[in-house]
Amino acid sequence: MAPMMLGVIPFGMVCGVGAIAAGASPIAALAMSMIMFSGAAQIVAVQLLAAGAPFAVILLSCLVVSLRLVMYSAAMAPYLRPLDHRWRALLSFVLTDQAFAGTLQRFQSSGDVRANASYFLGSGALLWVIWQLATLAGILAGQIIPASWQLEFVVPLCFLAVLVPLLRDRIAILVFTVATVAVIALDAMPLRLSMVCGGLLGIAAGVLGDKMAAKRG
Amino acid sequence: MDRELTIWLLIFAVGALTYTARLSFIALFAHREMPPLMAQALKHVPVAMVTAIVVPAVVFTMPGELRLDVGNAKLIAALVAGAVAAWRQSAVMTIAVGMIVLWSLRYVVG
Repeated sequence: MAPMMLGVIPFGMVCGVGAIAAGASPIAALAMSMIMFSGAAQIVAVQLLAAGAPFAVILLSCLVVSLRLVMYSAAMAPYLRPLDHRWRALLSFVLTDQAFAGTLQRFQSSGDVRANASYFLGSGALLWVIWQLATLAGILAGQIIPASWQLEFVVPLCFLAVLVPLLRDRIAILVFTVATVAVIALDAMPLRLSMVCGGLLGIAAGVLGDKMAAKRG
Repeated sequence: MDRELTIWLLIFAVGALTYTARLSFIALFAHREMPPLMAQALKHVPVAMVTAIVVPAVVFTMPGELRLDVGNAKLIAALVAGAVAAWRQSAVMTIAVGMIVLWSLRYVVG
């Protein structure tokens, strides 16, 4: 778990820097990390705020990136079924990419639900604290460093660091290509809807690509 | 609407959204399986959405002004940073190299 926890620090800082660059107050920038607690949703919100997208479009885009959490929720659900509602409500709040990756294997290999749940909660809570501290560092950097340094460019760079390692197979490259062409071609769409539409077309291309690959054997 | 107020509303709205997504199968639909088409589509969400967010931030220097030439410092910085990300899967190194290239092109080269 430890390397993964330290791995979130640059992303937390980027969220802090990005929020300040998008015009949020330091308190709002920190609240973003405390309440949303999702690097992907926060960075998308910040990027779209900076691009001047309207509220509903930002919400819709955050919805699409948060679908990933639904996938984690579905994968964890069978292991958490024996727990009562309070435990499940609490554990859901700290369900993140890192907590998922770091604890799923533990749930799969050990049947001690209480011990596993405690481990999940402990690592999730620690991750939450680290996330706030990293965001705070980013907020400070965002306030000290002048705008002419274009620090807001760390947001797309951070996304690029996530994206490139995902482009491992032909279907992923197809999704990337379709989303790229679509988002550029649709740029003239009103309300910055091009991002959501480009993303959805990419997803559709991936589903079709999978179907065709399955047919070919 | 006032920007600060918009941001606060967004914080609570997106917070509710991410929490609902996390709760979905753990609590809300605890006794249901995910539909297969949904599971297939979800696999592609990260690549598709991240691409749709990154690409416009890099290829448009101004709103509506597409720049796919070497004069676009952000494009060059992103290409170099992308190569770094492929070579070493390190977010810190990708961001550092990308920013250094951007600053070099802006202030050193002109």
